[in-house]
Formats: sequence, C-alpha cells, structure tokens
Amino acid sequence: MKTLKDVKPGHIGKVVDIKGCDDIKHKLYDLGIIPGVRVEVIQDAPFGGPIKVKVHDYCLALRRKEASCILVEEER
Amino acid sequence: MKEITVALVGNPNVGKSALLNAISGSDIKVGNWPGVTVEKLEATFIYNDYKIRFIDLPGVYSLRNQTAEEKITIEFLLKERPDVILNVVDATNLRRNLYLTFQLLELEIPMVVALNIWDEAVEKGIIIDYEKMSKLLCCPVIPTSAKNKTGIDQLLEKIVETYENKKFVQCEHFESQIEEYLKKVINLVKEYNPVLLDIYPKRYLAISLLEGSFKDSISPDLEENIEKIRNEIKSLYKKDVKTFIVEERYGNVLSVYHQTVKKQQEDVVDSSITLDKIFLHKYVGLPIFLLLVWIVFEITFKVSSPYVEWLDKVLSVVSGWTLSVLNSVNANDVLKSFVSEGVLGGVGFVLTFIPVLFTLYVMIAILEGSGYIARAAFLMDRFFSSIGLSGKSFIPLLLGFGCNVPAVYATKTIENTREKILTTLMIPFMSCGARLTVFAFFVSVFFKNHGGLVIFSLYLIGILTAIIVALLLNKFHFKTQSEFFIMELPPYRLPTLRYILNNAWVRVKSFIVEAGKFIFAMSVLVWFLTNIPYGAKKDKTILAKVSQKVAVIFEPLGFGTWEATASLFSGFVAKEVVLSTMGNIYVGEKIEEETKELSFQEGVKEIVVGFVDANINLVKNFMAVFGFVKVESEEEFNKSLADSIRSAFTPASAYSFLVFLLLYTPCLATVFAIKQELNSYKWMFISIAINFSSAWIVSFIVYKILTFYNF
Repeated sequence: MKTLKDVKPGHIGKVVDIKGCDDIKHKLYDLGIIPGVRVEVIQDAPFGGPIKVKVHDYCLALRRKEASCILVEEER
Repeated sequence: MKEITVALVGNPNVGKSALLNAISGSDIKVGNWPGVTVEKLEATFIYNDYKIRFIDLPGVYSLRNQTAEEKITIEFLLKERPDVILNVVDATNLRRNLYLTFQLLELEIPMVVALNIWDEAVEKGIIIDYEKMSKLLCCPVIPTSAKNKTGIDQLLEKIVETYENKKFVQCEHFESQIEEYLKKVINLVKEYNPVLLDIYPKRYLAISLLEGSFKDSISPDLEENIEKIRNEIKSLYKKDVKTFIVEERYGNVLSVYHQTVKKQQEDVVDSSITLDKIFLHKYVGLPIFLLLVWIVFEITFKVSSPYVEWLDKVLSVVSGWTLSVLNSVNANDVLKSFVSEGVLGGVGFVLTFIPVLFTLYVMIAILEGSGYIARAAFLMDRFFSSIGLSGKSFIPLLLGFGCNVPAVYATKTIENTREKILTTLMIPFMSCGARLTVFAFFVSVFFKNHGGLVIFSLYLIGILTAIIVALLLNKFHFKTQSEFFIMELPPYRLPTLRYILNNAWVRVKSFIVEAGKFIFAMSVLVWFLTNIPYGAKKDKTILAKVSQKVAVIFEPLGFGTWEATASLFSGFVAKEVVLSTMGNIYVGEKIEEETKELSFQEGVKEIVVGFVDANINLVKNFMAVFGFVKVESEEEFNKSLADSIRSAFTPASAYSFLVFLLLYTPCLATVFAIKQELNSYKWMFISIAINFSSAWIVSFIVYKILTFYNF
C-alpha cells in the first residue's frame, strides 16, 4: 500500500492507518492525522528535507521518515 | 480581595501570550518552570474586587503526558487545581483546537473558552455560532482578539462569574456505550482503589485507566478488571482503546464543529499556502532564508552597537561623577579603583548586553510572531537532522558568531528539550566578535601573510568541534531519545508592535535582574583577584600566584607560562579584556580608559549628545547594512605589547593559544545565559567542562602537529 511519502505534491491521500512508528502514532493522532482524514501534500523541502502537508484547516511539516509510516489511499 | 488563579491552556500558536499581554499589559514575569527549560509567564491583574493571577502554561496539542510541555501542563492542572482554566482556541483552526478542549473538559475544572483570533476568522468569512458552542461544550465561550483587544472585558467577567459559580457541569459527550464503560471503571476504582477518586478527577481517571496511560500504581485486581473491559471494547469495536478514545474525541470535535461553524470561504489557509510557494520554494526558499537571516544578524549587531557605545559613555560620565564625589571626601586609591573598575566595570558589562538583547528579542518576536521561524526550521532541517538536531538550531548557532549571549537566549524558539540543550552546548564553539579582536591582534604579530587563512581555520575548528561534541553527546548521552520532527507550520500573521516591544522588554528586564546580579558579583571578585594586594608588583597579585600554579596544565599546549594563564583567567570574564590584561601583564602598563572628573551639567550634556550621536550612527549603520556606507574601523596596535608577545610565543604556541582561546569556556555572561535558559546549574557546569576539555584536547593535537612540522 502507498504511504504519505509516495504522494506527490498537489495530491491527496486518505489516511488508512499508521504503522511502524508507535512512538509517534499518538502524536500524529493529537495533530488530527487519524484514519479517514484527507491529507494533501503541498510542498517538499530541498535536498530531501521534510514535506509540507495540509490536514483539516492547517499545515504540518514532517520528515519523510515519519511520512512513510502513514498508510494512505491516494485520492487524486 | 478574592484571588482567582487562572491557567491559560491552548495549542501552540493560538496567541495565548498575546492575549495575556492584551489583558495585563507589561506586568508580566518570565521565568522557567522548576527544573525544566520551558518558559513560564505569569501576570496578576486586578479586576473589580478580584485579584486574578494568570499562569500561561506551555502550548500543547494534547494532555498525553509525553513531552515536557504536556507534563508541565497536566501536572499543573492536576496538582495545583487552578480555579478556572482559560482555554485559548484559534477560531480559524477549530477542528484541531477543539480536541484539546475536550480533553480539558475531562479534568472537571471550571473552564472559559476564548475563541481567539476572532478578527481573522471574521475576515475569512467564517461564521461561528459561539452561543451554541457554549451550550454544546457546557462552558462559556467568548470571542476574543488579542490583536484588537476585543472581548477582554467579557472574558474577565466570565472568569469571575465562573469562579463564583464554582459549578462544573460534566457533559457526557461520548457514545452511550462508552459512557457506560467509564462508569464501570469508576465503580471498580471505588471498589479497589477508592483513594484515587480523592486525588484525580473522575472522568480523567476513568479514561486514562481505560487507555492504560495512567502513571500512578494501581492494585493488581483493578488492573485485571480493567483489562477485561479493554478486551471487551477491543472485540466489540475491532480497535484498541487508545485509538478508540482518540476517535471518539474527534467525533465530538467534528460534531461541534459542524453544528456551530458556517464557512463562506472555501479555503482558510490559502494566503499562507501562496506565500509558502515562495518562501518554501525548492530553489528560491533557501536563498531567501539566508538573506533574511543575514539581515537579522546585521540588524541585531549593527543596530545595537551605537547604543552600546552610548551606554559606555553614560557609564564613563557616571564614573566621572562618582570620582568627583570620592575625591571630594578624600577617598583612598584602593576604594577609587574598586568603585571605578570593580563596581562600575561590572555594571557596564551588563549594560553592554541590553541593546543587543533588546534588538535580538524584537527580531525573534517578529520572526516567531509572523510564523517564519517554523519555515526556517523546515528549510534547514535536512542539514541538521544528520547531527540529531532540527532546522530550528540554525538561527541560534548563527547568532553565536556575533555574540554567544543572545545566541543562547535565541534557543527559546526550540521546544524540544534535547535539541535545545544540544544547541546551547554547541553555541560557545561559535567564535564571537570579542574573540575575533584577540585573533586579529595575534595574527598581525605572527601570521601577517596568511592572516585570513588563519582566522578562517579557527572558525572552522570551532564549527567542527561543535559538530563532534554534538555527535558524541547524541551517541552517549541522549541515546534513549527517539527523534522525530513533526511541526505545525502556522499561517503567516503580522505581530502587533505592542506585543513585540512588550515581549522584548519583559525578557531584557529578566536578564538585567538575574544575570546582572551574577555578573556584578563576579566582576567584583575578579577585581579582588587582580588587584590584591593593592599596589603589589604584577607577579605578586592573587591572580598571578594562582596562575603560576595552574600554568603547568598548559605546558603540553606550548604556553605554560603564568602570564598566558592569567590572560586566560581574565578571558573567562570576557574575551575582549584578554588583550588589555595582556598589556597589563606583559608590558606592565594598564591600557585604561581615562576617567575624568565632570561637573553635573557637563555630564548631562555628554549623555544627551551621546544619545543623539548614537541615533545618527544607527542610521549610518543601517545604510551600511544595505551596503551604502562603509563603517570605518580603527585598528590600534599596541606596539610594545606586540613586541613582548612576539618574544613570549612561537608561531606554533601562538596558534595553539588561539585555538584554546576559541574553544575554552566562553565569557561569564554566556555561562550565566546558559544557566538561565536551560534553568539548570548542572548543564552550566557540563558546558564549562565540555568547553574546557575540548579546548585542551584540540589545542594539544594542533600544537603537536605544528611542532612536528617545525612551525
């Protein structure tokens, strides 16, 4: 299955599950990244840096390592 | 007068501190939470017959008790039991903000919700039925704007009303099945561990027991029975309880959101996204960032320097007056020297930091308030993640090249404690402006032909040592910490001038009060060391005697003389006094500023003229920042000192001395800044130890290599 890391800027992924990062799972939950939520990838930083995503009404930055824990279904 | 304790709780970036500012003006105290590095803001406000004490708790996304901020917040709320929680919520970002609100309701503390940033929500066409929201949440909800100071009176009124009512209505907002389970848990607690019910709020207790996040120990029977319920829920809903409760809360959030918010505009973060297309651009973003950082750097040091000079002048006028007074009562020389050098010297040293810190805090408040700091971290994160830091460390480290003291205070913007400590420990290795003056002098004596190269190599050694120290600390000290980087990119906002200036002033005030005492005491101590016995020969003072004993540890580094050692001692106070101490020791003549006697009118005139000059220089420096005018630099070389230094050092030992000077313990003010910012004597001493030992090791290696190649 795809992870948020594979979603290209401008595309939206619907969160299915969070796997492989138990320590940050609940941090992501606190920030509103829960199954069923649509996450739009907006931009990525230079040299393989973090990615910027939009979830609900606000923007988050996360490293690719964390993005690869978020399983998504690509919507667009 | 009745006293009401109000805890401000909310997500980061919702304007809690700005709201506190709007309520109480500048009557705010800053400090640190005991034992941790997180900032503590407090203010008292008199309203009608009530004394309202506000405590600004650190911004959190949840009460999960994981990060330092969360621990402080939940501990304060549970142990101190404030009379009222003032929950500050970002009206433009309700879907996430209300999550914390629901968690706060579980604590059963009377609460008032401030729908802050209301002005922006209105501007964006978001219509919120706050009266309905108040009914759904079972607590008053007041629209506020810290920026326009609206809603403040209603807020205070509601706080008092809530305090007087003392009633807390618990909404049972979960699905009825879950509410049943929670009641079951409570009954189990009553049966097995009833004492817990006296300590913890019922609902919080039930939920955290069910989730398995409860920290205190409980009886095995209770745990066993709860485990049964957990399994029941698991088989019923096909997910673990923790996840289930989070989803329940979000379900509530969305329900409240959809019932109360009517949006007319499609996208609320539109303008920020457009701006980020430029500021976070793959190729343009970094150059823009570097340019902005350069401007911050230049402004911080160039804008403040005329005022540093002016304060210097004010001080010399004051010491002139003092001298007149002392002369008129026929005071003896010891007292005169003590007052003018020990006492006023210490005061002057503190004063010189005020303009720098004030400008820096203004710059930081602008960068932070506008939302740019988070962008800087985003852009630089890739580079810093390789040494276990995040992009947020860049600005403090860079400021270190100007002066280590404001650099340490600039770590305020790093929330992660481990990152903050690491960054702070790296800062002293960034060679500051004061060290440069010593480098320049030595280079002119020993390495005239390769001056630039030598100075560049020193900066590089500093940076490399810092990186090695960071890597070692990460490997051996912080190894248990798993690092991740998830950060909110708040929308761009224009911070208010009032907020910026207030913020800067409050922080500078806390520096003057705390660091002032410490630096002053040390300055007096150093005066005793260097001058007692008074009038004795230069190699008979206490300082010289101690240096003669200590010098032996510098033998392997090539400069094991008491003179060099004594200079390093003085460098601990401030790097810029190393040269004047050397002049004093090696040549025997004090490079002193002459203090002349002044009449009162003359003094006042000089202060006023100096202030006007400072403002003129400020404009000149500003032009220089943008490359219009060149500021003339006057390098004055003390010829006789150069001669004595030339005979006392070899090029190899001189270079080794410079490396040591670069890396060893930074000045007193930096050391105290570290203590203040990290809120710990332990880290202050660790920092001193790390600097001293790495200085010794690197100098030793450098000296051995240089002598091996016969320099």
